[in-house]
Amino acid sequence: MTVPGDLTAHVVGFCRALRVRGLAVGPREAADALRALAAVDVGDRRECYLALRAVLTSRQEDLAVFDQVFAEYWNPPSPSAPGAEGPEAAAPAGPEGEQAAVPQVLAWLDDALTPSDGEEATAAYSPVDVLTHKDFSAFSADELAEVSRLVVAIARRIATRLSRRMRAARRGHLVDLRRTLRYSLRRGGEVIDLAYRRRRIRKTRVVVLADVSGSMDVYSRFLVQFVFALQHTLGQVETMVFSTRLTRVTDALSEADLRTALDQVARQVPDWSGGTKIGASLRQFLDRYGDGLLGPRTVVIIISDGWDTGDIEVLDGAMRELRARAGRVIWLNPLLGSPGYEPICQGMRTALPYVDVFASAHNLDSLRRLERHLALRGRP
Amino acid sequence: MHPEIQRIQAMLDAQGYVADEALATSVYLAIRLRKPLLIEGAAGVGKTEVAKVMARALDTDLIRLQCYEGLDATTSLYEWNYQRQLLHIRLQEHSDLPLDAREREIFSEPFLLKRPLLQAITHHRPPVLLIDEVDRADEEWEAFLLEVLSDWQVTIPEIGTIAARHIPYVVLTSNRTRELGDALRRRCLYLWIDYPTFEKELAIVRRKVPEVNGQLAEQIAAFMQMVRRARLEKTPGLAETLDWSAALIALHRDHLDREAVEQTLGVLFKHRDDAEKIRGQWLDHLLRGLEEMSRQPRPWTQDTVAQVADQVLPR
Repeated sequence: MTVPGDLTAHVVGFCRALRVRGLAVGPREAADALRALAAVDVGDRRECYLALRAVLTSRQEDLAVFDQVFAEYWNPPSPSAPGAEGPEAAAPAGPEGEQAAVPQVLAWLDDALTPSDGEEATAAYSPVDVLTHKDFSAFSADELAEVSRLVVAIARRIATRLSRRMRAARRGHLVDLRRTLRYSLRRGGEVIDLAYRRRRIRKTRVVVLADVSGSMDVYSRFLVQFVFALQHTLGQVETMVFSTRLTRVTDALSEADLRTALDQVARQVPDWSGGTKIGASLRQFLDRYGDGLLGPRTVVIIISDGWDTGDIEVLDGAMRELRARAGRVIWLNPLLGSPGYEPICQGMRTALPYVDVFASAHNLDSLRRLERHLALRGRP
Repeated sequence: MHPEIQRIQAMLDAQGYVADEALATSVYLAIRLRKPLLIEGAAGVGKTEVAKVMARALDTDLIRLQCYEGLDATTSLYEWNYQRQLLHIRLQEHSDLPLDAREREIFSEPFLLKRPLLQAITHHRPPVLLIDEVDRADEEWEAFLLEVLSDWQVTIPEIGTIAARHIPYVVLTSNRTRELGDALRRRCLYLWIDYPTFEKELAIVRRKVPEVNGQLAEQIAAFMQMVRRARLEKTPGLAETLDWSAALIALHRDHLDREAVEQTLGVLFKHRDDAEKIRGQWLDHLLRGLEEMSRQPRPWTQDTVAQVADQVLPR
């Protein structure tokens, strides 16, 4: 069976609608969708729905979006919209080899799926894109949920980058039988030398030090969500928050539920929204956790606006030591996104020379840019 | 419904698997389009079972590859039979063959141990290849798997390239302990298996544990629907439902009451905290729920259970 021509156009339109909404649907998937529809009864709406869903989704998060787009697209409110007829109205298909049709279809699908300029404009109205340019401080609860979802996506990408360099650490050596045998062959089959193989041990650890002092209040909610998502996605993340002193909140944040985690954190941190003593807090971190957590494979992320009310010399010393003992020091400053911001406050000025990456963390774009800094590379 | 999908549903049913339309359609398309089927869902919802049943329904062999952290290409593809090689070297000690000829000999197919992936593509007919818990394997292995799934051929340095005799039917399962790569996802058809509905769970209990009487089966299914509303470390799945049913039968229970539930909590909850939470905070409500259910007109449905649960369970 082939899929009737008008249905083909609708399927392509449907694929495009899914793509605009963020699903990974390309020409290959569209071609598969057509093959799938050719294999089921196109007169049966539920069957078409199930077939398209199997082909065009690839993760659980896709399902809700798919359902929504499916309902909108195949049941549009106005009869003049494309696809008004729905699959039920499609002409019954005639018998023919469906495989043969696919390659030709594939070629023009590529064109058909590439949105023209007009459609690009529509795509830009998707909620995701609007959010990227907004300041986190102005977010509503709904938007925060969306942000949190996106942060998870970003953190996953970070995880992918890091784990490529992480190898499972196995204790001891493994005998490499293949090479051992090759050696022994040269000695008439006597196993004299054992060849070993050893797994590369490359663990990257992320330590987050987040400022929760008063000046960071507007960002705190977002930042905790970011750290929460990061910790849940990356696994190897240690999180400390500080204001006038440092509190380790890794365990509190490992709660499965964000709300519970927040409650826990709030209960544990005695000086939420207090003043800021960055230097003293860093010093506390170095003395208390430095030996266990710092090393050439540790990425330290400090999230702070750099407003320090403590002793600048303490900050200078702590930053110097941190830089020497960590693999990479990243400083995220939410203020960096504000137009005309210059890191002139004394705390920030003091810390800056010891920072490998100084990035903004005020909107999603800035976080996306951050992602590529997270893989450990040699210092420039 | 398409007759083929109906046939697959019937086949799955005949194998004791209660398959809904979505599952049957996905299996049908995986067979028809010859695309790997990626199945995700919570533990214990019957993901692995799909592959087993598919193999039986297609009347072919099941080749299973259980993934774990540290799984590498060697263990999943092939290994040399070292004992045999050593023995062979010993036997050939006094042979006049030059060294490289002897080396070629011991690194040839008779000394090759085929691991699941190689077995699957060199099988005498297309088998069902189950790649279980693929999320447990490392990213590198995932990349390697992607290569195998794209090319259907593997290269063994000592022998050369071995192309697939048949393309196997592939089923991948994942518990989402690690996010799978987009490339792998896009190569597969996707099926999400949720916890079963009341009706489905009831049908499965009746099917798999026929000794359970009608009333007990209904109570079990309703209890499970309600208990899944508790936020637990590990929400019990279908596997636990069936274990629990069997345990209740072993204890000669024909209905659920406080004693029966307390006696068997360990079967249902694998975490101590979960069992404690249910015993301490939920059990009264759950039992009240069952009582309330018994006043509802039959047959009970998902909606009935949901309504009762809304009424009696803590938020």
